Amino acid sequence: MDDITKLGLSEKGDMKLKRLQEENHFLDMRDAFRVGIALAIAFKVSPQEDNTKKVGRYNISQIDEDKSIETAINLLCDTQGVPTYRWAERLAEWGVAKLSEESESGQINFAKLLEDVSSLAKEH
Amino acid sequence: MTRLDNRVKLKSLTIKNFMPYKGLSSIDFPMDDSRNTLIVFGDNMRGKTSLLNAIRWGFYGYAYGRHLRKIPLNLLPNSEAVKEGDWEMVAQIKFEAAGSQYDLRRVARPKKHVAVIQKPEDIEVELHLQKNGAAVAGNLIEEEINQFSPEQVSRFFLFDGELLQEYEELLIEGSDHGKRIKDEIEKVLGVPTLTNGREDIRNILKLAQKQQAVEASKTKELESIAERYQEQETKLESLKVDLSSLTMSLRKTHDDRVTLDDEIEKYETVFVKKAQLDSFRARQKEIDSDIKAKTTERKMLVGDIWKDFLAPRLSIKRDSLIGEQQELNSLANENNKIKLLIEQATLANESSACPTCGTTINEDKLNSNRARLIELKSKLNDFKFDEERSFDVAVLIKTINKVLENKVGGRLVDLDSSLSSDEFNLSKIENNIDNLEEELKSYSLEQLQRDRQKRDSLFRSETTLSNELEQTSSLIDKTEVEIRALSTQMQPKETSRKTRAGQTIELCQKIYAVFDSSVERFRSNLKESVELNASLAFKEMTTQEAYSGLKINENYGLTILDQSNHEVQLRSAGAEQIVALSLIAGLGQAGRASGPVIMDTPFGRLDTKHRKNILKYLPTSATQLVMFVHDGEIRGSEDLDVIASRIGAQYEIKEVTPSHSVIQKR
Repeated sequence: MDDITKLGLSEKGDMKLKRLQEENHFLDMRDAFRVGIALAIAFKVSPQEDNTKKVGRYNISQIDEDKSIETAINLLCDTQGVPTYRWAERLAEWGVAKLSEESESGQINFAKLLEDVSSLAKEH
Repeated sequence: MTRLDNRVKLKSLTIKNFMPYKGLSSIDFPMDDSRNTLIVFGDNMRGKTSLLNAIRWGFYGYAYGRHLRKIPLNLLPNSEAVKEGDWEMVAQIKFEAAGSQYDLRRVARPKKHVAVIQKPEDIEVELHLQKNGAAVAGNLIEEEINQFSPEQVSRFFLFDGELLQEYEELLIEGSDHGKRIKDEIEKVLGVPTLTNGREDIRNILKLAQKQQAVEASKTKELESIAERYQEQETKLESLKVDLSSLTMSLRKTHDDRVTLDDEIEKYETVFVKKAQLDSFRARQKEIDSDIKAKTTERKMLVGDIWKDFLAPRLSIKRDSLIGEQQELNSLANENNKIKLLIEQATLANESSACPTCGTTINEDKLNSNRARLIELKSKLNDFKFDEERSFDVAVLIKTINKVLENKVGGRLVDLDSSLSSDEFNLSKIENNIDNLEEELKSYSLEQLQRDRQKRDSLFRSETTLSNELEQTSSLIDKTEVEIRALSTQMQPKETSRKTRAGQTIELCQKIYAVFDSSVERFRSNLKESVELNASLAFKEMTTQEAYSGLKINENYGLTILDQSNHEVQLRSAGAEQIVALSLIAGLGQAGRASGPVIMDTPFGRLDTKHRKNILKYLPTSATQLVMFVHDGEIRGSEDLDVIASRIGAQYEIKEVTPSHSVIQKR
């Protein structure tokens, strides 16, 4: 399977991403996209294959300019042979949904998320 | 009945819908003589004075507002309860007096057929009293209560500390307000019994003098004196009419001025509130701008928070990569070492000399070196060092370090906590702003200006009226002296020639003189007793050892005496309050049976030492001491230590809404 050149989300995920920016949780949708991927990695999510149509939005360099995310995925995830950035899209789908859910209380509680992530990291 | 027999003690107070107390609230008073103090804590505007008023209304049927003005009955029921249609207001006081158990219940409710209550007359009040379980007839209730708790004395045992300053008026000789308080004090002490008798004799005397004048006008030699007498009588009547009208005008002017003072005071509170509002608005702006700056910074940080999410797992990964890198490095070193040895052995074989010192190597050694070279080459062939991996690991560690170097989580968490505290403060400030704006909505500053001018003009009128009143009084005194002289002139010297009117006059004059001197003697005895009791109380309460006691004046005003019995002219606000409390103690003891003392905000102007002295003294001067205080007056255990052993109960007034308070036991 070839990797992709543009990163995107399902229509539903894309709407959530848009809302996160419109509601001022993030300055830019790219930030939310990146945080979504990192959150999913931190939560050790192994996302299922998602065949829904993706709304392509960003060039890979707009999201992962210095390849840190690619490195993190390769180091921390079992991508089951799926190309890294395709895996990144699946992670972003999960992460953006999680951020959107967290934002429903009015403010994303990053302190709580950081705490959860730190305890999860210690679990093998 | 002795004072001990007649002791009064409150058992409980239960109120329903009384002022800020919506629904039922109750207080149980301490009954133990050794723990006879009850303290009720409450912030300002929560309903401390309303509790005092509940007792006053229960006993006497009225409640006082500012400046001892009665609050209209229709304004007493709790406004929230009224909005919900519950107009019934109750004050029930259980107490014991002279060995009997009493249950007093005063109930106010709308009169039948009154749909909307607009005035006091729309409400009917029922009063029930049970004595030892049996109902007391309605017409006897007041008399029963007055036996042990006379209404006139009530201001000396149910008193509002904020009114203590009124007693300072007693020191101003000739002040109308001082005279009114003096009259009330004398009522309490029973002086009117004698002064009324004296007045009755004076009226009989006057009638006799008039009769004498009529008789005299029929006698030629007395005709002109009788005529002058009539003139003076007419003048006196007219002066008295003037005096009465001046007194009424003065009282009305005084009351109007005091009402305006209240209004102006309210406005002054408005100015204070306006200043508060401005300061809240400035603070609101400040916090708003802080929040904006922090929110912007937060958004920037949130963009980088992904690094913090990856950090915990990447740190673990980096540790393992560093371990791998160390292993790879040591393999690389080993590899390099073998390569160097091969290089040296090869060189030695080729040159047959030591590559370090140049010495020729013999054949045996060369052979052994050749064998070593073969061994090293074989070891190098077997050695597995992945150079590419070593490079990759180094790149990975570098990439991870870049992510870990720029974490923002700590700052973001701090910002979030600071923002949440800012938002809490902002919402508090916004609430205050809303409340203040609502309160200030109906005030106009132009109206304040008009009220101030009117108040000043009323104040000037008061001064003019006071002067006129003084002049009229003095004219009345002069005219009365003249009338008495004329009356004497009209009387024949020889008793045998005296008419019936003449004889009545003579008798009345003698009786009048007896009453007059009795009134003075009685007043003087009472004053001595009040002065003595007040001085004792004062010495217990004052912190100034240089003061020897108090001296009473004509108006029952008290001045402090120093050790040489000289009057102390200047005294502090705190000392004024101690003097006023001493007067209360003196009057309370002179005027009624031993009973409870209930004080609202008694410590407003006092320092710690005075507070302690008062707290020590007051529980010993009454059967029960009940104090309604705010935190600023009494600082918890710090002040209460001194009477800790005398405290029988403590309550606290809590606000539910601005028009709904509840009382809770502490």
